[in-house]
Amino acid sequence: MMEALTVRGPEKNMAASEETSAAIPRSGSASRLLATYRSEIALAVAILLIMGVVSFWSPQVFSYGNIANVAQSAAPLVIMALGVLLVIITSGIDLSVGSTFSLSGMVAGLAMSAGAAWPLACVAGLAVGIAVGAINGLLVTLLGLAPFVVTLITYAVGASLAFVITDGHSIALLDPTFYLLNGGQLIPGVTNYVMFCLLGTIAIELGLRKLVMGRWVYAVGSNDKASRLLGIPVNGIRAGVYVIAGLLAAFSSMLSLSYISNSEATSGANMMLQAIAACVIGGASLFGGTGSAVGAALGAIMITVIQNGVNLIGINSFWQGSVTGLVILVAVLIDRLAKVRA
Amino acid sequence: MSRSASTTFVLEATDIEKTFGATNVLQKARLRVARGEIHALLGGNGAGKSTLIRIVSGSLHRDAGAIQVSGQSNYDAGAIAVVFQELALLPDLTVAENICLPHRRDAFGRVDARHMRAQAARALAVIDPALIALLALPASRLDLHQRQLVEIARALSSGAQLILLDEPTANLTFADSERLFTALRRLTQQGISILLVSHRMSEIRTVADVCTILRDGKSVVDRRPLAEISDEEIVRAMMGEGREKATAPAGAAAPATSGGVTLGLAKDRLALTLAPGSVLGLAGAPEGPAGVIAALIGSASHPAWSITVNGEPRRFRSPADAIRSGVGYVSGDRAEKGVLATLPIVDNLAAAGRVARKRWLVSSGEVQDALGALKRLAIKANSLYALPQTLSGGTQQKLLIARWLDLAPKILVLEEPTRGVDIGTKREIYNIIGVVAAAGSIVVWWSTEFSELAQTCDHVIAFDLHGAISGLLKQDEITEVAMTRATGMAA
Repeated sequence: MMEALTVRGPEKNMAASEETSAAIPRSGSASRLLATYRSEIALAVAILLIMGVVSFWSPQVFSYGNIANVAQSAAPLVIMALGVLLVIITSGIDLSVGSTFSLSGMVAGLAMSAGAAWPLACVAGLAVGIAVGAINGLLVTLLGLAPFVVTLITYAVGASLAFVITDGHSIALLDPTFYLLNGGQLIPGVTNYVMFCLLGTIAIELGLRKLVMGRWVYAVGSNDKASRLLGIPVNGIRAGVYVIAGLLAAFSSMLSLSYISNSEATSGANMMLQAIAACVIGGASLFGGTGSAVGAALGAIMITVIQNGVNLIGINSFWQGSVTGLVILVAVLIDRLAKVRA
Repeated sequence: MSRSASTTFVLEATDIEKTFGATNVLQKARLRVARGEIHALLGGNGAGKSTLIRIVSGSLHRDAGAIQVSGQSNYDAGAIAVVFQELALLPDLTVAENICLPHRRDAFGRVDARHMRAQAARALAVIDPALIALLALPASRLDLHQRQLVEIARALSSGAQLILLDEPTANLTFADSERLFTALRRLTQQGISILLVSHRMSEIRTVADVCTILRDGKSVVDRRPLAEISDEEIVRAMMGEGREKATAPAGAAAPATSGGVTLGLAKDRLALTLAPGSVLGLAGAPEGPAGVIAALIGSASHPAWSITVNGEPRRFRSPADAIRSGVGYVSGDRAEKGVLATLPIVDNLAAAGRVARKRWLVSSGEVQDALGALKRLAIKANSLYALPQTLSGGTQQKLLIARWLDLAPKILVLEEPTRGVDIGTKREIYNIIGVVAAAGSIVVWWSTEFSELAQTCDHVIAFDLHGAISGLLKQDEITEVAMTRATGMAA
């Protein structure tokens, strides 16, 4: 069979646009829900499978203590991934969220050590997140710069400012009630970090599905030009998602600070890549137009479960990144295969 | 080579089968092209033309069947080359470099510039010796028609014996189309065969010798000389018996009455007022119609046309402003300007209403509206939640029109809405235009096919090759001949 073809235009879904037909019968709301969340359910099963494999070496993986531990370490990543997801759906990318995490943590820490009450300090931290997001959004929309370049700039500047404002020193947070943000129970019986994750995931998921603006986030990522011609406020949506991503990155930092009680300039260094990875594992495409909040949250949990498993089994933690990379590869391949068959 | 030797087939594809998922796209399809002929491949959207072309040219595997090139089943892929609508030249390379791109290096990766130019010149000379003057120009400096010919030259220099052209004249001027046809005829004299995919009956009649017609993946007409088959037979073969009646949405498509406005359009010395229910055609080089459309849909920052609605001057500041003032817009450039490819059909249908009605929440009524819209336009979709790419091109076009019908637009702007759409769907679109106008909307549409403007319009603004207004035709003056004369474009 021949392979090469000498003269050929970009093959824009020629077969797809003309003759294929993906039959996904969807009737009844329950079965439709199942069909809609098929890949998310598969992801949840995969997480349980990973835990099952780990349990051969270390049965305590399913213990209450370990699960609480995993949930606690996953919480900040879940919150951050939700914001990054919105940006990715619009076919953008936010490389600055890790720096925003660090910088907002340092600002909140400084405010607390200057005597501010923790809620006030947190407001200052969140304001940093909004500011960074607004700068990203304005540069992307008004100047039309590539999101990768814009957020590469804010990533670099943010990371450096996090050192500058305390001269590189870490800040111990001594406010005795600050732990309540993370460890308190606004809803009796549900610790706050779990509550924030659930609430955030549900809010973003419903927002994306049920708000017209949520549909516009997908539309912008799906077809920028068509969206403009349809009267969708493309620039507003694009700027908005960066602001939300900045805000959620800062909130993620506050939650983490409340648990660790110590603010460091490098605290967010690894988180940006993990947050993007969480979205990709959760089914978002970096080309934009697809992705779900439930998927991104599960992706964040999966990454944390893998780290936890590597620790429990006793593999040198230097291998964590390799294992995570492998899992991303597998997740993307499965997604690819599912789409080819559909 | 003479036509009498047509028993030697350069391409003989028999019993080709292809299945995507549950759909049998090709069922024992047969395509035989003789040496030195121009062969028209016809068929509606979804008939399997694109799939067959992709299989024959080697970019898709077949499930079953045999392909022979010049009697050999083991053949060189370069023997069959495709020139698609989206041209594939590298804009910053010269014409010579583009032509020799597939084989411009020797074993050590070096380029022999002199040898390359000679080879490119030989390929161009076969098409038209005048083209050799272009050799050193970067491809970006060529016009559309020249770029097509350079692509054909590239195919020739790779040893192509059969060249497949997919709607080559869609955006060519009348003179350039004639030049292309002359070049194609010259190629056939050298023994090269041409397979032409086109939806334009007049041009098929002008240039092609033989046709094969596909319907539902089968070759319902297998190699018949065009001289022996009538237009009516061709349409019947493409549509199938009875299908024509079944799909005509006719009165069922009637949208709510829009109340109706009068629309005034003015530029330079032309001033035109359209009553409710008018159909205005735009004909000519793209720059002209694009100016009118941009002003009407609010996408121009400095509109060249001044607009009045019910006698009042009106300027649409943004697409949202235009939509909320009752202007609908459908482009034939579906992939770029219309379809939201990653969103399900229901979102694609609801997209315009969400902007027009300024709602915050996705309403459950949208699903009902979407189902109603699909039914009224006889759009067959497996599910409202399937992606638009599961529909054929023509059906996607109907989807983009359906988006507006519930909003009862006062002005509906259509930009080449029948581009790449089969004859059956084209007729449905004319039908919809008629129904929308009958309900009191003004339809403004740009088409490169003058026959369809002649059928449906009561006014036509013609533009010359530079996009300047060259005439206003009314009622009986609207003929293909008059439009060709006023625009200089191919009908």
